[in-house]
Amino acid sequence: MKRILAVLAVLAFSIGTAKAETIRILMETVPDTRYIQDLLPEFEQKTGIQVDIEAISYIDMHSKLVPQLIAPQGSYDLIVVDFYWVGEFTKAGWLMPLDDLVARDGIDTGAYVPKLMDLVGRVEGTLYMLPFYNYSMAVIYRKDLLEDPAEQAAFKEKYGMDLKVPETWDEYWKQVQFFTRDTDGDGKRDLFGTVIQGQRGDCISMQWSNYLYSQGGRFHDENWNPMLNSEAAIKAMEYYREAVENYSPPGSESFCFDEASNVMAQGKAYSFVTFNILYAGFDDPSASSVVGKVGITPNPGGGLNGGWGWAIPNSSAQKEAAWTFIKWVESAEIAKKRALLGGAPTQTAIFTDPDVVAARPYYPILGKILAGTQDFPVFTYTTEFVEEVGRELNLAATGEKPIPEAMKAAQEEFRKLLVKDGKLAN
Amino acid sequence: MRRGRVTSRLLPHGVLIVFSATILLPLLWLLRVALTDKLTAYKIPPEWVAPKLTNFVEIFTGYPFFNYFLNSLTVAVGATLFALPLATAMAYAFTRYNTGGLPLRLFVLSSQMLPPVILVLPLFTLFLTAAMLNTLPGLIIAHMTISLPFLAWLLVAFFEGEVALLEQAARVDGATRLQAFLRITLPVTAPGILAAGLLAFILSWNEFLFALILSGPQTNTLPVGLSSFQTHRGVDIALLSAATVCAILPVFLLLPFMRRYLIKGLSLGALK
Repeated sequence: MKRILAVLAVLAFSIGTAKAETIRILMETVPDTRYIQDLLPEFEQKTGIQVDIEAISYIDMHSKLVPQLIAPQGSYDLIVVDFYWVGEFTKAGWLMPLDDLVARDGIDTGAYVPKLMDLVGRVEGTLYMLPFYNYSMAVIYRKDLLEDPAEQAAFKEKYGMDLKVPETWDEYWKQVQFFTRDTDGDGKRDLFGTVIQGQRGDCISMQWSNYLYSQGGRFHDENWNPMLNSEAAIKAMEYYREAVENYSPPGSESFCFDEASNVMAQGKAYSFVTFNILYAGFDDPSASSVVGKVGITPNPGGGLNGGWGWAIPNSSAQKEAAWTFIKWVESAEIAKKRALLGGAPTQTAIFTDPDVVAARPYYPILGKILAGTQDFPVFTYTTEFVEEVGRELNLAATGEKPIPEAMKAAQEEFRKLLVKDGKLAN
Repeated sequence: MRRGRVTSRLLPHGVLIVFSATILLPLLWLLRVALTDKLTAYKIPPEWVAPKLTNFVEIFTGYPFFNYFLNSLTVAVGATLFALPLATAMAYAFTRYNTGGLPLRLFVLSSQMLPPVILVLPLFTLFLTAAMLNTLPGLIIAHMTISLPFLAWLLVAFFEGEVALLEQAARVDGATRLQAFLRITLPVTAPGILAAGLLAFILSWNEFLFALILSGPQTNTLPVGLSSFQTHRGVDIALLSAATVCAILPVFLLLPFMRRYLIKGLSLGALK
């Protein structure tokens, strides 16, 4: 009964305050959304604008957003755009250019990490978004194993090199091989050098990109000529296949990042190439048995860049209020507060801010990771690209298709999509 | 002889136990995960720790879960209450007057032959114009597009056959059509109608796509709320399980009634 009363009170309250200007934001259920929700009272007090944040899961966001964006007047005044959708949303003309507002209010876009401005900020010279969140990829590894003197001695004896935080792919791969072992002597491997997230589509495309960059490979050259059957790409796939076969838990060819990170959290893997935002989770005692034992370092050769950007949809009825919110949430003060809570920063200064570093000593490494990242192909058909190419990568990873054949097919699929988008002549 | 009887009893029991276990074990596992944390939930071999209720507290305090619950209840009850009389009338008209003939019957069903995503976009546009997006009445109407055709078709089967004979007998005895319907047909088919109502409730309770596209933060239903535990940073499996346990509960409580009426409804017939 008390609960019902409480709900009624909340309802009555929300009706009562509905008269004040309210902006509606669609966001994903990630910790950063929570941090912003926690900081909201400050904004509401300062501006009198009410903020209504709707947080839903990533996989549902696209289907929820598109009808709203097509409508002449949608329900959302402000949205966050994943880099996947940047090509699609901007080409469809759903996002409002922010150049005039930035110039009018003297916002310094130079404060952002340039890599993120390129990914989720400017598109072909027009500013559509301000970077909100970064989830670039890196190597998460077991610090305790790496620093164990017995392991160090054994490693040195076996490979003739020191066991330390890997800087080259060769070094990393030797560590992956070294730590894959049977620890309890029952004849089955129970510690794995790495964890593959090889599920078709998004999961494998994201992780495999890091393997591609590690071999010096790229998805395409400057003129959008696809490079997926290059020597480097094939080499990257060979490493990936080898990992699936020998150094990653059985079944990992159908893992996504959640299953894979659970292997790491249960202490059954030495390393995991994944999103940097997962790192904090390994220090959470309710979800991890390796608290305080993990470190993070850039993927040798560069990791995959990833991020979200704030954007005002053209279908928003309250663009000015939405802009006021962006200005507030992206101000140096709030950006810092969010980082102190554990948020994923996008502005260069935050990564090395003394207070932030004192609270979270690994943030400078996150900055380094981000600075060295490479971009995924962002074009109108990125979503389709991930499905098509992700399928071929998975077929190669499981051995269902010979690697050169799969890479050739991936190359062909990529080329077709680029032609469809007008990036390539034919 | 005796031996044969024991095996003939054991065999069906064995089969039934295996069958029940395949249905019950996942539910029990769900309950187990709901009472532990993510770390323990994924331990292999499983580790048994003292159950705790923190997940349940968390979903009601940290998330607007009670709100989701209330929304789901309003929408499911609303959709059922509106759909049931309409579907009953529709099914009655189909069986007694053959309204519209087979083409109309198929037309009613045709909306169920399309993937729901085809219905949801026109609905979105309509609701946008009518300012019914993000409202509970809108969602009730949307869910009725699913339950109404389904129920009408289900009820047609109940109105056909022997009930018609009983009704005729009543008419011969001087009852008007309405009287015959209210006093004879309705009581005889009541178990069927109730079973259909329960199904309508469950259809609406579990519906995801319409709720996702047509609702907003204040009107989100349970399935939408549940999916939000699947995040870019991993699945909050313990919270998700606790939330799922709460979400199954009402349907679980309805189950005994469901069973009674479904069996009655299926073995319907007064002239046997």
